[in-house]
Amino acid sequence: MATIGHNNLNAKLVLLGDMGAGKSSLVLRFVKGQFLEFQESTIGAAFFSQTLAVNDATVKFEIWDTAGQERYHSLAPMYYRGAAAAIIVYDITSSDSFTRAKKWVQELQKQGNPNMVMALAGNKADLEDKRKVTAEEARVYAEENGLFFMETSAKTAANVNDIFYEIAKRLPRAQPAQNPPGMVLVDRPAEGARAASCCS
Amino acid sequence: MTDEEREGEGETRASIEPGSEDLPSSPSSSGYAAERGSTTATTDSQIEIHHDDDIEDDIAIEIDRISVSDSHSSWIPGKRHLDEDDASISWRKRKKHFFILSHSGKPIYSRYGDEHRLAGFSATLQAIISFVENGGDSVKLVRAGKHQVVFLVKGPIYLVCISSTDEPHESLREQLELIYGQMLVILTKSVNRCFEKNPKFDMTPLLGGTDIVFSSLIHSFSWNPAIFLHAYTCLPLAYATRQAAGAILQDIADSGVLFAILMCRHKIISLVGAQKASLHPDDMLLLANFVMSSESFRTSESFSPVCLPRYNPSAFVYAYIHYFDADTYLMLLTTSSDAFYHLKDCRIHIEMVLLKSSVLSDVQRSLLNGGMHVEDLPPIPCSGSSHLSQHMLPSDSPERFNEPNSSIGGPAGLWHFLYRSIFLDQYVSSEFSSSINTPQQQKRLYRAYQKLFASMHDRGIGPHKTQFRRDENYVLLCWVTQDFELYAAFDPLADKALAIETCNHICQWIKDVENEIFLLGASPFSW
Repeated sequence: MATIGHNNLNAKLVLLGDMGAGKSSLVLRFVKGQFLEFQESTIGAAFFSQTLAVNDATVKFEIWDTAGQERYHSLAPMYYRGAAAAIIVYDITSSDSFTRAKKWVQELQKQGNPNMVMALAGNKADLEDKRKVTAEEARVYAEENGLFFMETSAKTAANVNDIFYEIAKRLPRAQPAQNPPGMVLVDRPAEGARAASCCS
Repeated sequence: MTDEEREGEGETRASIEPGSEDLPSSPSSSGYAAERGSTTATTDSQIEIHHDDDIEDDIAIEIDRISVSDSHSSWIPGKRHLDEDDASISWRKRKKHFFILSHSGKPIYSRYGDEHRLAGFSATLQAIISFVENGGDSVKLVRAGKHQVVFLVKGPIYLVCISSTDEPHESLREQLELIYGQMLVILTKSVNRCFEKNPKFDMTPLLGGTDIVFSSLIHSFSWNPAIFLHAYTCLPLAYATRQAAGAILQDIADSGVLFAILMCRHKIISLVGAQKASLHPDDMLLLANFVMSSESFRTSESFSPVCLPRYNPSAFVYAYIHYFDADTYLMLLTTSSDAFYHLKDCRIHIEMVLLKSSVLSDVQRSLLNGGMHVEDLPPIPCSGSSHLSQHMLPSDSPERFNEPNSSIGGPAGLWHFLYRSIFLDQYVSSEFSSSINTPQQQKRLYRAYQKLFASMHDRGIGPHKTQFRRDENYVLLCWVTQDFELYAAFDPLADKALAIETCNHICQWIKDVENEIFLLGASPFSW
């Protein structure tokens, strides 16, 4: 859950998507500026943090890079619970991964934080000749579902920082809606949600 | 079915490979009883040691070229020969196959080749198992020429090893048990429910991305003594250093952590468990293999569900994993799925203390110096004054001055030893002397120990107290008491009386340095 300090915002961000879509590659590009041609499968979830300056505020992302394997699906709530933002990643060269991404969106709409900032990332945009999912199709889907959409390439770094910046920019705007009555209970919704469903 | 019958049947089925793909897969395997107790007591304990310089992987040749003493460090992980299937000559020539399949005959894992292309072969294995089961029996072992086919049934999961490596079938069965355990580490026993819902359930997607975990485990079947000793090993450290590490782990274990484990590669630096919680050495081995073989844990801190099969095969615990450097890593296990931030704080605290007390640099130094060198075995038992660190120093101490010795090993032609403390559930392995410095030689010795271990613990003719055997490769001496087991390898020309005396010296030496090579006191091992 996003929490505001003075001009500092801590935001939990989760990456979801099919295995091999490039979640870890996006994070490693964003956090470490690295890219590995053969990124090994993530086990469970890896945790990263990265701070961004947006306008006159700083946003500290606490990033959960989850494993895409089927066996971890039932454990995903453990990682997205209380998240302020999510990037749902698919591989533009795989229709299956796009289908899987839509399922993640559905699940987050049902189970996740209702004020979550959701981004849809069509990764591997450098592989234009192997494309199976058109940008138009993804854009329409994203608009219908209130996500913002970008095609990214962890390999060439195209749009990678941009998508995180865009999330960071949208976060403060999402904040007032989160606590309509006032500023007193900033942390409460997160704590409540966590306590209520810790045994999922 | 008696063993003789089984053997006879093995002969008739001697070639499981040719033609057998035509066997229809039997769909009627649903009515079998799971985990039936074994009544096999095979009487074949051939004691001869065969030449075992066969190479299971072409990779081994490469390892030799690099010529390192630590064979596993240069092993290239990951699955190989994906292009093979049961029709490939190369596939059939592999010395040791491992298969996991479902009770409906669906392939789940194969060491070599692509699982999906082995569907016919898997169905054949399933047919053999259910054929015997339909007769109210269960097949454990088939011998076919120099091949042994070992079967292990775990509920809806079947495990099969086909090996021509001449390892004792008891050892192969234990290896299958460990492979099953590794699968549980990843999935827990709840995977069985998938088969209750749908007997034809395809399990391969559930294991996606874990080939490397299994191949690394299978590789350790030829170098890691913990596999057959069922014991831990510790990184040699000064007593005070290990105490310091233990104290800080104990602090955080009191704050709701189930197990706090600090490790360097596959060796324990320190380990602390919550009250009454005990960690079985096999769980430790499987957990360490899981963590070390998965590159993903090295890139960042992780929080992952894992199952400890001996602790509770049906449930996940959650592991916080963090590498302090390339070799040293911390595992904090908890039952609470939202403990990540707490464990992260614990780690930051632990890291601070470890850095301040220079534990991490001591660990690196120990890694460089290695453990017990047979060349450093004191010529006469000198109790009280001995310290491991003295022997590790490349000084011109009296033990060291006999330089020619080091080219042929320790006193009396001692080449290597393994010592397992039964009370502590820990073992120590000496460094390999220069006489066994190639991976092939080390693997051959490993297999010889493995065979020796099996014959010492043979339920039919054992257990034994001592064994002395000589062949063209070694003199092997084994000594088992209530407190320890000692396995020692000597030059094949070693004198028997001297060898026995040397074993006494080894035991004395270990007693002298036990503070440094073992994790003592407050150990959660032996509750």
